[in-house]
Amino acid sequence: MLYAIIPLVVDGLANAALIFFVAVGLTLVFSVLRILNVAHGSFYSIGAYVAASMGLWLIGSGLNPWLSFPALLLSAALVAALMGPLIERTLVHWTYGRGEAVQILVTFGLFLILEDLQRIVFGVRSIYADTPMALLGVSEIGGIIYLNYQLLLIGLAVLVLIGLRMFIRHTRYGKLISAVVEDREVSEALGINTRRIFMMAFTLGVFLAALGGALATPTTGVAPGLGAETMVLAFAVAAIAGLGQVEGAAVAAVIVGLARVLAIYYVPALDAVAPYLVMLVVLLIWPFGLFGSTQTRRI
Amino acid sequence: MLELRDVNVAIAGVRVLRDVSLSLRPGICTVLIGRNGAGKTTTLRAIMGLVPIKTGAVTLEGLPLHEQPSYARAGLGLGYAPEDRRLISGFTIEENLLLPALALNLDAAERQRRLDEVYTLLPQLADMRKRPGGATSGGQGKMVALGRALMVGRKVVMLDEPFQGLAPALALDYAKTLAQLRQARTGLALLITESSPNLLDAIADETLRIERGAIEPAETEGNLARDPAPDH
Repeated sequence: MLYAIIPLVVDGLANAALIFFVAVGLTLVFSVLRILNVAHGSFYSIGAYVAASMGLWLIGSGLNPWLSFPALLLSAALVAALMGPLIERTLVHWTYGRGEAVQILVTFGLFLILEDLQRIVFGVRSIYADTPMALLGVSEIGGIIYLNYQLLLIGLAVLVLIGLRMFIRHTRYGKLISAVVEDREVSEALGINTRRIFMMAFTLGVFLAALGGALATPTTGVAPGLGAETMVLAFAVAAIAGLGQVEGAAVAAVIVGLARVLAIYYVPALDAVAPYLVMLVVLLIWPFGLFGSTQTRRI
Repeated sequence: MLELRDVNVAIAGVRVLRDVSLSLRPGICTVLIGRNGAGKTTTLRAIMGLVPIKTGAVTLEGLPLHEQPSYARAGLGLGYAPEDRRLISGFTIEENLLLPALALNLDAAERQRRLDEVYTLLPQLADMRKRPGGATSGGQGKMVALGRALMVGRKVVMLDEPFQGLAPALALDYAKTLAQLRQARTGLALLITESSPNLLDAIADETLRIERGAIEPAETEGNLARDPAPDH
């Protein structure tokens, strides 16, 4: 029994790790900018495409294959630095303070644009770049074989969770972000450049999504549709946690990750619906998510 | 020091400030009296850039403030305590006080110097520095909001209805603190709004009345105190 469960849990957690990166970015952007960015999943797929292309280029040019690891991080940073400020300044900032309908229409439009741009730039065929996974190999513990890359993913997600927590609680910009989340106007009156904070938070959200996408490339092929698929998953996680909850997103990602893997192992037909079944049940019992409420506005 | 010249503000098409002109001078405590809805809060918000002004000018030592983004005011020496306190509930009292210093990126020594100054003036805050901002009473919250405004208000400090909802004993405390503040920081320009003139009699150097968004013609000092308080 145990032999069957452990790989399942590792699979589930690795899966959860990837969803967590995207969902926590989504929830961060929501709590600071008060915007549900429907295009958020596209940053995941763009991060994946850029990482896969960079990985293939690295191998093709005969450089040290271990460079693929920093390349994953670099691609996420690149996507965030190039797209975050640009999209926030040109498009997203027009929707601040407007109705949800406007925000969803604008970000959905952005999603469509980004999806087609990806098709134009990266084509429609799947790209595989699994060098990092192959390099790390497998380890055998107690007769069970693990993909080391999966363990790395889980470790990285925990690190990002802790890092994000430390950043928000203990750094200057983290505290300024918390203040803006709670009261934008007073923050402005106290000397906080809230425009800059919005841009930073949005860019950080893009980075987290792109990081998830980049880290996912070694485990899967990158193909059109990845952005949409990821977006709904991230939304399910954020909704289960309660929008705006960082630790909550981690817990919810684990729930969704495990639910998906359980479905794949035991009821393959339910693979795609499992996250939404969980979301449905959670929201029926806790309408504001497991950790959310109408009152709290924290990150 | 701080001048408003013919400031007009409209919110949703309704004029809420009409040709408001006033000037704050160093060391002078100006009190702005008016009923609820007369435009006191909007006057302060217009100075802080939290509502856009339609016409007119707000200048600080000749610098046109209305052309600056709102957040720039703190760095220029304007401190503001809104009526409803608006502390950050997830922060401790001390973190709340330090927030504007953090926003302005003051160096550690300067930050500590200003914090000590606030604690000297408001020793009760030092005793509860570790308490969460969300767990303060209304009166304590007002003190924190005052301290927070003083952290950046090097030239001008604006307090929006600081006595509103304070218990009499606390109101007395607060008034004493204001008197001490004026002694400690003699060059500070103060602007305080209130709906009833009596409370600020002792510290007002200049009293202005605002009615339906317009400042009423100046009256000689002392007259106002004997006027009956306006109805609410």
